[in-house]
Amino acid sequence: MAAAANEPQSVILTINDIEIEVPRGELIVESVKRIGLEIPIFCYHSRMKPVGMCRMCLVDVGFKQPDGSVRMMPKPQAGCTLPADNNMVVYTDTEKVRRDRKGVLEFLLINHPLDCPICDRGGECPLQNNTIFYGPSTTRYVEIKRHLPKAFPLSKYVTLDLERCIQCGRCVRFTEEISGDSQLAFRFRGAMMQPSTFELTDFESRFSGNVIEICPVGALTSAEYRFRARPWDLQTKPSICLECSNGCNTWFDYRVASLVRINGRTNEAVNEEWTCDKGKFGQNYLNSPDRLTEVFVRDGDKLIESNWATAFQQVSVAFQSAGSKCAALVGGKASNEDIFMLKRLFTEAFGSNNLDHRWTRCLPKSDALYRVATSIADFENEPVIFVFGNNIAEEQPILFLRIRKAWFRNDAKVIVACPEACEADTFAHTSLRYRPGTEAVLLGAIHRAATGAGGVDIAEASSITGVGEEAIRRAADAMKSGFALAASRSLLDLRNGEHVVGALSNLTIACNSSEKYNLFATSANEEGARQIEFMPSAEGKNTREILEACASGEMKALWLLECDPLSLSHDNELVTKALETVEFLVVQNHIKSECVQFASVLLPACAFSEKDGTYTNLERRVQRIKPIIAAKGSAKPAWKSFGELLLRMKGDPPPFHAHEVMQLIAASHQKFQSAIYENLEGEGVVIPANQSTEPQAVDVEYTAMEVPSNTP
Amino acid sequence: MPETRLLLKHSGDAAYRSIQGYMDKGGYAGLKKALSMDRQAVIDEIKASGLRGRGGAGFPTWIKWNGIEKEKTKPHYILCNADEGEPGTFKDKELMENTPHLMIEGMIIAGWATQGDVGYVYIRGEFVDCARAVKKAIDEAYEAGFLGKNIQGTGWNFDMYVHLGAGSYECGEESALMSSLMGERGMPRLKFPHAPLPTVAGLWDCPTVINNVETYACAPYILVNGGEWYATLGASTKNSRGTKIFSVSGHVNRPGNYEIEFGTTLAELLEMAGGMKGGTLKACVPGGSSVPILNAEQTMNAVIGYEEMVDAGSMVGSGGCMFLNEHTCIVTFIWRTALFYARESCGKCTPCREGTAWMEQILDRIRKGGGRMEDIELLKEICSQIDGRSFCGLGDAAAWPVAGALKVFPEEFEYFIRHGHSIVDGPEYRRMAPEPLTPAKV
Repeated sequence: MAAAANEPQSVILTINDIEIEVPRGELIVESVKRIGLEIPIFCYHSRMKPVGMCRMCLVDVGFKQPDGSVRMMPKPQAGCTLPADNNMVVYTDTEKVRRDRKGVLEFLLINHPLDCPICDRGGECPLQNNTIFYGPSTTRYVEIKRHLPKAFPLSKYVTLDLERCIQCGRCVRFTEEISGDSQLAFRFRGAMMQPSTFELTDFESRFSGNVIEICPVGALTSAEYRFRARPWDLQTKPSICLECSNGCNTWFDYRVASLVRINGRTNEAVNEEWTCDKGKFGQNYLNSPDRLTEVFVRDGDKLIESNWATAFQQVSVAFQSAGSKCAALVGGKASNEDIFMLKRLFTEAFGSNNLDHRWTRCLPKSDALYRVATSIADFENEPVIFVFGNNIAEEQPILFLRIRKAWFRNDAKVIVACPEACEADTFAHTSLRYRPGTEAVLLGAIHRAATGAGGVDIAEASSITGVGEEAIRRAADAMKSGFALAASRSLLDLRNGEHVVGALSNLTIACNSSEKYNLFATSANEEGARQIEFMPSAEGKNTREILEACASGEMKALWLLECDPLSLSHDNELVTKALETVEFLVVQNHIKSECVQFASVLLPACAFSEKDGTYTNLERRVQRIKPIIAAKGSAKPAWKSFGELLLRMKGDPPPFHAHEVMQLIAASHQKFQSAIYENLEGEGVVIPANQSTEPQAVDVEYTAMEVPSNTP
Repeated sequence: MPETRLLLKHSGDAAYRSIQGYMDKGGYAGLKKALSMDRQAVIDEIKASGLRGRGGAGFPTWIKWNGIEKEKTKPHYILCNADEGEPGTFKDKELMENTPHLMIEGMIIAGWATQGDVGYVYIRGEFVDCARAVKKAIDEAYEAGFLGKNIQGTGWNFDMYVHLGAGSYECGEESALMSSLMGERGMPRLKFPHAPLPTVAGLWDCPTVINNVETYACAPYILVNGGEWYATLGASTKNSRGTKIFSVSGHVNRPGNYEIEFGTTLAELLEMAGGMKGGTLKACVPGGSSVPILNAEQTMNAVIGYEEMVDAGSMVGSGGCMFLNEHTCIVTFIWRTALFYARESCGKCTPCREGTAWMEQILDRIRKGGGRMEDIELLKEICSQIDGRSFCGLGDAAAWPVAGALKVFPEEFEYFIRHGHSIVDGPEYRRMAPEPLTPAKV
């Protein structure tokens, strides 16, 4: 092995008589791209291990002999599995290679139903494309084609057309290598081989939508999109998914101003090319009849349809008379621009500092506890990762894929601490399944095991948490020389959340990993709101205080932007009381929510596909969305309405374009200076973290919390 | 040359199946000698013998043994391919049932030579009797101290297990066999130069020696008598040494396993098997169903040897030698062969998955009287599109018999297509032919 380390890291080979230097071990199918060539493929996928199944990539390969002659290998070789080597000679376009490609395509087509005119994939189909360039123009097949189920429902979302399948195994390998749920496998053999789930159960995966996109034919189709459109009739624009805080890049395919499907868009720094099923199939609300499209104002018991002018009139009167006794709360789908303009409206026009975007039970003051230090892509190369608290596959599915990749590709040790069984357990170095409520105790025990001091006694912790002593020591052993933390702010929903998060911080400090402490946002622009400091200043009230003030009647007016407190807050009793009691309630949202019934004024907002703006994901990456389809009814981007109100109340000139808002943001928040719109094409821009001093250990009570006995 | 019974010398002796009977006839002497030798000296002995793989490919055995890392960093596995699935071949079955200790001793020798830790005997799923016999023999070998911990006081540990396959021809392909043994679907894996050799990264990515039952069974004799002695057997051939067991079947008077020295002719082999039965010789498939077919003239001139058989137009293969008499319809025979490969293709690669099924469909249509003249050219083209393009050797093995028959017996195919029935007819043919049989036009 020592000799291998000394070998040069690049090799020189000849492709079609052109000599090139490539990294040692690079696959020929990738090497040819360096000189602008392409080898046709079906089964090969650059993010999965090569298998060489389809044989479409056959090339002629030989080796230069010491005497200068070239000895060609007797058989053509699969370019997708062959690593480049010195003295290798490759021909990708000889008569023989062309014949082989034609042969493979002929084989693939003999049993492929030529139902391209009605196939979803028609027009964007690799089999069609390769056939045009490399395939035979007629068939010599006169036998009866293979007949198999045409619309086999693998799940609610994915329908399998077995006749179209070319058995490339991409879907099977995706579930084995990328998503890790191993839901698909081949059944039967030979010409009858077909992908399916085991025992024909439902294809249950958080990532099932991806197999539709990587299928090189129309075999795996979206149950929803099936037969709904032809690809060439669709318009497509880049967009961002707002279902969680990851900020996955998507293609938004639409027709006649309505969404038809979502596909993954490549952004190596964020989602590579994957989407989760929430992001891919969960966007139907855009066309929902529950969308809020008109302005409503309250008239006694009824909300009556109105217009912006009337609403602005009522709002400005109500909020001005409330003075500083007004407040605003935002949810996770409001853009940076929306949030900034709302903050301006409140601080400049209403003179109020009662602003908040946080919905967790605990609201620690310390900014350091909210740090995010590791980027999504960096997780891939972390040797030790500590996933703490919640099911990461549920909260940040695509970040989960990165962490799984770290294990799958780089043998990362992933320690998973979760009170319930979760997907990450399947590859965990150590799984710590603790009793709910004992988070702080578990962390204290790991602390003690890793550092020999502090924290709590391991044996005692073991009996409280239900986690074996050995498992605690094993986890601590792996973590003590450093780890990257992956935890989310939903931990702050615990009653002792502040202690739990403090314990996490202490643990990272004790293991010299405070620069890898990450407490991730859970909603799309939660991090953006934090960076714009949509939070109460010293004299302002935070979420809980605002709700309490509303409930007591002290707070006179409340503005809810893109949020439904009834679903976001843990204390529905308080929320209901607050919304009932507050004198004037503005609900501004793109969709009707439960709190609409309490509203004094209902303002329609644009959904992400209808407005211009930016979102800041969990790693502080600012990404741009552009208006794709027209706003519905009277809806307008929220930031625009705030500008108009500011003009009305203070005479300030309103921004006309979102990029002007970003300039304003950058002017008042220096870290956003790199995020001006010209810079946001491509992968987006990561804005710097808050300058914070060296994180200090905090006082933590390493005690368990009473959990009601009915908690599972 | 007459039959040279080396491995099969005692196969008729029931006592030889037990370890006592085996040791009475000099069994485990080879292993004891090997254990007293330097590991490399054992490999050199195998090298001197000129032993080549008996499973079909004829790869020099010592190269595999020598390819295992000398400075051990991982467990080493000794794998025995006992998934004898090639139609026409039944030599390993006899070896395992009648002389199980011979193979086990060979595997332990290989284990010693390569610092092996565990041996696996992957036995074809249908060979339950073999598995029982081998399992019994392994138990005996453990008891006698030839397996287990501290073997014969050398301090070396070696374990052995039997694994039964689940009924797939493809699992006889060495990389598919390893997949299957590791609990995966029985599909072939990437091979050199696309992936490291099994001797570097085989079973569970550890160095692995994989050989056929017959190959391992040769090792004890080579150790006892010396590689140089073994190399005198078959010295008349170009590069084939030792003896080879041929499973003779078909229209012969005494079908069965015959062990011959390389350099023997096919004609002599036919003689040993009692000559043709029910008619004169028409064709011969000398090395298992996947090798190209020979006509009578080629058969009578063929000398058995790895290179010599290639010169004759076929291959030694696994030694499943089928002699066919004049009443055999080559078209029907080849259709049945093609049907076997279509059913056994694992489905991994396109040429084999689609090509084998297509060939079978065409041949089936021809044998049912629906042939077209262009089918002959089409079949040849399909064969050339599979041969060398498939992922593993199964595709090649499916293409060779069809391509071979089209080359050697073109007139049979042309006649069948033109007339809608076979060139051969008569009560013997009609008795043998599978349904449906098209009525002969008289």
